[in-house]
Amino acid sequence: MSGGHPDGSLMPNAGLVARREYVEKIRSRAFAVATGILIAVAVGAALIPIGLRAVDRGQITRIGVVSSDPAVTARVVDLVSAYLNPVPPGTDSATVRPHYQLSPQMDLASGLAGVHAGRIDSLLEVTIGSDGGLDFTFHGNDGPTSATIQRLQVATFGAAVVEYSQSLPHTGSGPAFHVPSFETQPTDRGSSVAPIDPGAMGSRTLLASILVVVIFITLTVYGMWVATSVASEKTSRVMELLISAATPRQLLVGKVVGVGAAGLTQYLAILVPATIVLALQDPIATALIGPADPGEAPLVGLTLPILLAFGFFILGFLLYAFVYAAAGSLVSRPEDIQQLAMPLSFVSMAGYFAAIFGMTAINSSAVAFLSFVPFFSPYVMLSRVMLGHVDAWEIGLSLALLVAAIAISTWIAARIYGAGVLLYGQRPGFRTFLRVAIRPDGG
Amino acid sequence: MTLVIDGLSKSYGHVVALDQVGFRVEPGDIFGFLGANGAGKTTTMRIVLDILRADSGTVTWRGRPNIDLPRRTFGYLPEERGLYPRMRILDQLVFFAGLYGVPAGQARRDAVGWLERFRVTDLADRRADELSKGNQQKIQFIAAILHDPEVVLMDEPFTGLDPVNVALLRSAFLELAARGKTLIFSSHQMEMVEALAGAIAIIDRGRLVTSGPTGEVRRRAGRPIVRLAVEADPELAWVSSLPGVRLIRPGPHVSELTVEPGTDPQSILRAALARGGVVTCFEIADASLEDVFIELVGRSAGDGSPAGARAAVESAA
Repeated sequence: MSGGHPDGSLMPNAGLVARREYVEKIRSRAFAVATGILIAVAVGAALIPIGLRAVDRGQITRIGVVSSDPAVTARVVDLVSAYLNPVPPGTDSATVRPHYQLSPQMDLASGLAGVHAGRIDSLLEVTIGSDGGLDFTFHGNDGPTSATIQRLQVATFGAAVVEYSQSLPHTGSGPAFHVPSFETQPTDRGSSVAPIDPGAMGSRTLLASILVVVIFITLTVYGMWVATSVASEKTSRVMELLISAATPRQLLVGKVVGVGAAGLTQYLAILVPATIVLALQDPIATALIGPADPGEAPLVGLTLPILLAFGFFILGFLLYAFVYAAAGSLVSRPEDIQQLAMPLSFVSMAGYFAAIFGMTAINSSAVAFLSFVPFFSPYVMLSRVMLGHVDAWEIGLSLALLVAAIAISTWIAARIYGAGVLLYGQRPGFRTFLRVAIRPDGG
Repeated sequence: MTLVIDGLSKSYGHVVALDQVGFRVEPGDIFGFLGANGAGKTTTMRIVLDILRADSGTVTWRGRPNIDLPRRTFGYLPEERGLYPRMRILDQLVFFAGLYGVPAGQARRDAVGWLERFRVTDLADRRADELSKGNQQKIQFIAAILHDPEVVLMDEPFTGLDPVNVALLRSAFLELAARGKTLIFSSHQMEMVEALAGAIAIIDRGRLVTSGPTGEVRRRAGRPIVRLAVEADPELAWVSSLPGVRLIRPGPHVSELTVEPGTDPQSILRAALARGGVVTCFEIADASLEDVFIELVGRSAGDGSPAGARAAVESAA
């Protein structure tokens, strides 16, 4: 749409679309349920640093993993292992001696036998629910405050999120995210792990990890909301009316802003109670486990970097959401979104892992480089701001690149959307995505 | 002062959807746009609305290209009906009118007025997925015209409506036309087009077959129809021996015959009388639109099946 066209301006139509989207989303029951669950999780996560004051770490902890589905077992082994054994960028993973060694086990009985025989130290049992949600049971003698347990909880939560994002909603809002439970079952062998230096795994690293996980969930889940919402407008055929009343750009921006505002509402609903707990950490910690020892790493309260992270977060959402919206416009049925969203999930996951791994080498040039790359910067710059030294100009440059990428992705997404919403009956793959981006009018 | 569609062509890959389609619609007209399924009606309408761009050709309204016109110039009732399933009817109508620039208060008043007129005020607070098909269609019609567009394009507006609602929609058509609005609609119901449309265009496999005032198209394209009844002779077997005369619709009371150009219809009457029959009915009429359509397209308007298409290809060959 050229600037001279009478319908060229974004407002008021983008505003109308955004408002409709927001109200519909906020009013839905699935939204209320998911928000409630996430608030409970966030408050729980905010309490984790307190538990970490009594931390420990083994030389090599051997953990067996077992579930009813070998594929799930393999994925959990990979994801948890990647999280527990971060590889500094630029180093060969083969040369790094892992602290944790994860191995798939045949079944629960042989896994437990392995623990008894001392072949492995402990066993992680994965239970796959009827809705595909994962629950975890830890068989071992580590207490609930051990570092292994704490880190495993974060890692298994990440694994559950990845599994969930792979099986995401086919219609409407879909099933709410099943928050994985994590139980510990004592075995009769002696304690498997030796205590570690309490300052090594600072609460700052943990908080950064949690924020990166939250961003990962947000970009994936809210991005999927956008894609599903676009696709369902195609399914209900209301799209043809919309597109004759408003321009693709107005519809696209309105949709992303509306869903984003709904996501932000949910996010604030989660963040406020969690922040209160974080701010009160020291009093709570003193009450629960006694006063801090001299030399112990301070717990992190509410800091400026968190607010800066928030900015990256919103821009990251915008960037991903426009691409998700374009993907949603190409499918005729919401269940086909998976196929198109998959490459995007990989990009998102790569940023997530880069940020997690980068924490061990936060001042390396590889991490610095990734913190400027638009699809990765929302994750990696967050790690750097939380854990490393960042100059103001670096943050400015990273933000500028992100904003530029958003502008470009909006333009491309509007082209795809304008053509995509009239495509029916095909099962588009990534190639259709590219073809439509290059020549929107078919031909 | 006219909607001029000129030389529209559009291809999807190797499939030619439109090939040099052009016709004119006069302002204030009710215009029938006819064609079998897949003939290119929807593609033409989408190009007029500028939600699709043609490979070549132009659309102008009152001398201005459609791509320079604000979207509120046009109203659209798509063939595939669609509303937000879980949104209240009145909210949806206000939302769509809002996209066309109508202030919420005015949209609400006008929407309630139209709901009253279609006798469905009770639907205002219901969700779209609770509505019957016919009611959804009425709401869809209101959504198309609530912003008072100059040109309304409607894809199959009468399909699925019961006779009472057909009558309501017809009177709405006539009122809009009387207010100077230009209405373009497609339909497979030829009697409806005959009764409402002052002018028509027929399109077949992406090509314009004919266009013009309805009566003129019927006279020009169709052969005259003779309705004939002879006492005590319902079969009229002798008719087929007359040169240039064909029995197309035998009936128990009155039968319909077509007459080749150049053959005088009166010759049938003379032949009947010469045989000593008592003629109880003899009427010469223009071909019906249905006949014209079958004559020009080679199949019935509702028949979009591959078999029908094959028959059309064979008869064209």
